[in-house]
Amino acid sequence: MSKFARILSLLLVTVLLGGMLIACEQKPVTPEPPVDEVPVEEPVEEPVEEPVEEEPVEEEPVEEPVEEEPEPEPTTRVGGWLDEIVVSIIDAPSVIVQMEADAVDVYVNGFGTNDLDQLNDSGLPYTTSNGTYYTLQFNPAEFNEGLNVFRNRKIREAFNYLIDRNYINQEFYAGGALPKWFAIMTNFGDYALLADTARRLETKYAYNFEKAKEIIDAEMEAAGYPLTDGKYMNADGEQYEVIFLVRNDGDGTRKAWGTYLTGQMEKLGFAVNFKEGTGGDLGPIWIAGDPKAGEWHMYTGGWGASVLNRDQSNIFQEMYLPTSAQGLPVFMENDSDPEFQELGDKLYNREFTTMEQRAEMMARALELSLEDSLQVMIVDSKRFVPHQEGLVVTTDLAAGVESAQITPFTLRWEGQEGGTVRWATQPFLFNGPWNPVRGSNTTSDQGAVRMTVGYATTYDPYTGLLNAFWVDKAEVTVQTGLPVQKTLDWLTLDFADEIVVPGDAWADWDAETQTFITVDEKSGGEPVTATAKAVVYFREDLFDVVKWHDGSNLEMADIMMSYIMGFDRAKEESAIYDKQPVGAFNVFMQTFKGFKIVSTDPLIMEGYQDTFSADAELLVPIGYTWINNFQGEGSFASYAMMNSAEAAHELAYTESKALELEVEQTSTIGGPSLEILTKHLDQLIADGTIPYEPTLGQYITKEQAIARYQALKAHFEKYGNYHQGVGPYFLKSVDLNGKSLVMAHWDQYPDLADRWSMYSAPKISDVEIDGPGQVVGGEEATFDIYVTFQGKPYELADIKQVKFLVYDAENNVVIISAAEAVEDGHFVITFSGEDTAKFGDGATKLEVAVISIAVAQPTFETIEFITAQ
Amino acid sequence: MSIETNSQETPIEYAKRATRETAKRLARFFSIRLVLQIITIIIGVYITILVANMGGYVDTILKASIIEEVNMEVSAMVSEKDIPREMREQMVRDLVEERERLAGLDQPFITRSFHHLWNGLTLNFGRARFMVSDHGSRMVRNIILERLPATLLLMGTSQLLLFFVTLSIALAVSRHYGSFWDKLIVAMSPTSSIPPWFYGIFLILIFAAWLKVLPFSGMVDAPPPPTKLGYFLNVLKHLILPAGSLFISSFFINTYSWRTFFLIYSSEDYVDMAKAKGLGDRAIERRYILRPTLPSIITSFALLMVGIWTGATLTETIFNWPGLGTTIYTAISKYDTAVIVGTTIIQAYMLGITVFFLDFLYAIVDPRVKLGGGK
Repeated sequence: MSKFARILSLLLVTVLLGGMLIACEQKPVTPEPPVDEVPVEEPVEEPVEEPVEEEPVEEEPVEEPVEEEPEPEPTTRVGGWLDEIVVSIIDAPSVIVQMEADAVDVYVNGFGTNDLDQLNDSGLPYTTSNGTYYTLQFNPAEFNEGLNVFRNRKIREAFNYLIDRNYINQEFYAGGALPKWFAIMTNFGDYALLADTARRLETKYAYNFEKAKEIIDAEMEAAGYPLTDGKYMNADGEQYEVIFLVRNDGDGTRKAWGTYLTGQMEKLGFAVNFKEGTGGDLGPIWIAGDPKAGEWHMYTGGWGASVLNRDQSNIFQEMYLPTSAQGLPVFMENDSDPEFQELGDKLYNREFTTMEQRAEMMARALELSLEDSLQVMIVDSKRFVPHQEGLVVTTDLAAGVESAQITPFTLRWEGQEGGTVRWATQPFLFNGPWNPVRGSNTTSDQGAVRMTVGYATTYDPYTGLLNAFWVDKAEVTVQTGLPVQKTLDWLTLDFADEIVVPGDAWADWDAETQTFITVDEKSGGEPVTATAKAVVYFREDLFDVVKWHDGSNLEMADIMMSYIMGFDRAKEESAIYDKQPVGAFNVFMQTFKGFKIVSTDPLIMEGYQDTFSADAELLVPIGYTWINNFQGEGSFASYAMMNSAEAAHELAYTESKALELEVEQTSTIGGPSLEILTKHLDQLIADGTIPYEPTLGQYITKEQAIARYQALKAHFEKYGNYHQGVGPYFLKSVDLNGKSLVMAHWDQYPDLADRWSMYSAPKISDVEIDGPGQVVGGEEATFDIYVTFQGKPYELADIKQVKFLVYDAENNVVIISAAEAVEDGHFVITFSGEDTAKFGDGATKLEVAVISIAVAQPTFETIEFITAQ
Repeated sequence: MSIETNSQETPIEYAKRATRETAKRLARFFSIRLVLQIITIIIGVYITILVANMGGYVDTILKASIIEEVNMEVSAMVSEKDIPREMREQMVRDLVEERERLAGLDQPFITRSFHHLWNGLTLNFGRARFMVSDHGSRMVRNIILERLPATLLLMGTSQLLLFFVTLSIALAVSRHYGSFWDKLIVAMSPTSSIPPWFYGIFLILIFAAWLKVLPFSGMVDAPPPPTKLGYFLNVLKHLILPAGSLFISSFFINTYSWRTFFLIYSSEDYVDMAKAKGLGDRAIERRYILRPTLPSIITSFALLMVGIWTGATLTETIFNWPGLGTTIYTAISKYDTAVIVGTTIIQAYMLGITVFFLDFLYAIVDPRVKLGGGK
């Protein structure tokens, strides 16, 4: 029991004893009128999911690796390490008490940076991943009435000097966040590549109140609001008032730093109209309102990142420019600098031919983004997932624990096979129906579903690259001139001047005839080309060893069923047509050029698209189709059953269609859906129906289909649900009202449990710099850099680059270069006499950035020394 | 009200006429009461609809939320794809329009407000806009029904126990005015100003975190016991702390209130007379104290029975109890009018019916009460 609990208990006992003592002495009181009412409780705000305004996707750093790596040991166990994972809900405020009482093993949603102190006090181990990042969003519109000074880019830019990001981090985020200057994620991917520019700009735009004041005073004076008696007043004696919309929901930190910023602005001379509210309160003003109406000037923005985005070329357009895909009116009102506009658009459209050219463009865009400052970045916050000692928890640096694909494969008790983990999540479990096409998308539901899933390729939790999962190898070909690179060995990368799509590849789907339309049929024989092609080879024993949770083998019909539905649901002629996927389908068809099954045994597929990614690994998915969908996986039998109910207009996959038809949304785990689904499954068994027979009939016979339906029915009769997957755990039971479920070990999973053990801990390096304490200008000086991981030298093959920057006594960057490799874990920097002469007199700082291939997060280390000329 | 006698009437005719008069009087009385109740319910429910929708401002909030949601979706869809800007913007426009239509935002709020009212009054709760039941159903009926048992169990157990225990203790204490127990009740009554959820936290810390003898939260273990008996016992174990916190929170003030109430009646002249006549304590309690207080007790009990349907939002939240209180709160926070109206109309009808029948009960249990008034 915690100290707090003891104190509270003591207080309660004291109150009771006090009451008894008073009772012994108190005189009788005059009787009073009766009170009949039962006390009624006041409602309290239910915790809500972190609202995320937009969707840039990025990558992020980790402060301290705290996960323990299991001892490497040979195992014969397949699938997940655990016998069972019991998922239940918990209220965040009670998490630490419950974990201290050993009632919960891991709280997968984790805590925000603002709770870091409390978490540290508890002594519980925790993992670290990306959190929300916060920005100050300006309204750049020209108001219909009155002057908007934030249309002036110089004033917006000056706010970078006005905001002490380090203070905000220490004061409101317990020092656990990362001060942020740029839209790209701090300390990740692109940041690491641009470390020299980033560090230089961070130094330039460091907190400097006086400089901010100087710029803003001058601009306000020019705008007709000179500083008068410490206030920006116009000729009519009116002070300039800024309407500041401040979110007070979520973790509450936006209000905290919003208040700080208000103080800073008032110190300058602004009057600040501080309007606080929840996302729901302020959304109508800043999102739906007309920016020109002048209802607001500034807003405390918060943005989410759930994927390790290795290529953030698009971020400048998305976060600053009027051409932003965000499409919000406030972005469209930004009168951006023409150079920035052109650069941002080119980067978004990837109009560069080499990675070097891209790096130059990105570096310039970083600089211009600070000059634009439609949004002034504040901090990258973190999330911390606490767990019991001895539990091995892998964290995806962007997705955390609950949303990481790797989690179910690595979660285990250290040194133990089997056992149970009590997995606690937010109270958003069963927040909606479960179905693979469009079931509930809360992290709580998706986190549980993910335990039942297997993959063709899977995201590396530390680099964001795709690893081969049940794919053996892949061949990627891209058009010559596109700046694409390859990192991993399981694929090849080639370039071709022209990539012609074979005429017999599938280009579309005919929902009436239920057959694919070939490229030749669609183009009328005209040759079709694509910018990228991928050929994907699955493991040879795929259909022998991968089994659905109803015991059936994975079959080609499963894969084809899933693929067909991707087209069919968006076709008006289809019996299961739904408006919901049409938009995404149209976007897909804009770039889709063709797809072909080269062989079914072994399974080889190839795909063609007009798409592009700087990493060849991320182009592999264009070459295969798999059984994954929006929420987990669906088998041939389960889709046939659900499609039958959908076609009969008795159920609908999507919420919107269910609303339209006034029927229930399909759920495979409970509610009215189960009875309807069972009825349709029985009908399928009776009729031996093969859906999409003209096409699927080539992959499955009537007898095989009936066997699949019967296996699904038997599974339902045993476990009470139709949820299917091929992953390491299967859904054993659900308690929908009690909001808990049990995932049990899937004994027929094909891979050994230790296959992904290398991901037990991110390979974030430790860096030490060794060198002289004093350097004489004009003389040579040498510094050694030692890079280790868990005490062992970091392999050179895993290090992309070791960059360094030298700052003089006035914090100006005087040298940027790269260290030379000596051996594993050892680099050296040798400064010539010419170099040291640039250092100037006084304290000199050497900062080193180690950029790893194995993990997207670079490590920074600095050393200071004295330079004397 | 008395019926005038007619000298030419026989006693039988008089009795028949008196019965007819009484029936007419009762019918008129109950008709008027019924109409008034219905009007009250209609007004109450409509006010609820207006309040829950902030007089229509919720439409603006929902529209903003749709715009944000759609922009996020489209932005993710077109990310890293060469999609013309016009196509992107058209997608946003189409999706926003479609979602506004599905949310009913294409109709004026005033039209929808009467639609909600009519659906509610006719018990056609329809479908929730945003909420789903734990079982995945959007039917408001299912959303309410699936949470109702948990709420009835928690509130029923705690409030019925509270009612009868405090009533009994108050009666006993009122007979020993000035005793230690009487003084204890008086002294401890201010502790009821502490809300039940606060006691809940204490109880959790003591019995779950410290002693580890009772569960922290939930209605049943995860996973639930496989047998029915095991399940039943497990639910009881989970019920102790939330029900206990609701009980403790109101115990002293309720006992104090009833005790004070009984004291007033205990000091009436007719009670002193009964005591002087030498009647026993039990007889005095039954005939001279409880009987005249019965209408108040029944009223209190009836309203309590209505009250247990509302749930206890905070206590349910603290204990993760899957009850109706949290559902109502979620509906309010999500502006799900159908669910709000559904729960409100049930409350309104139950309250209306209770008040309606209380008039009957008063007349039965208290001879001083006559229905319909009169000259």
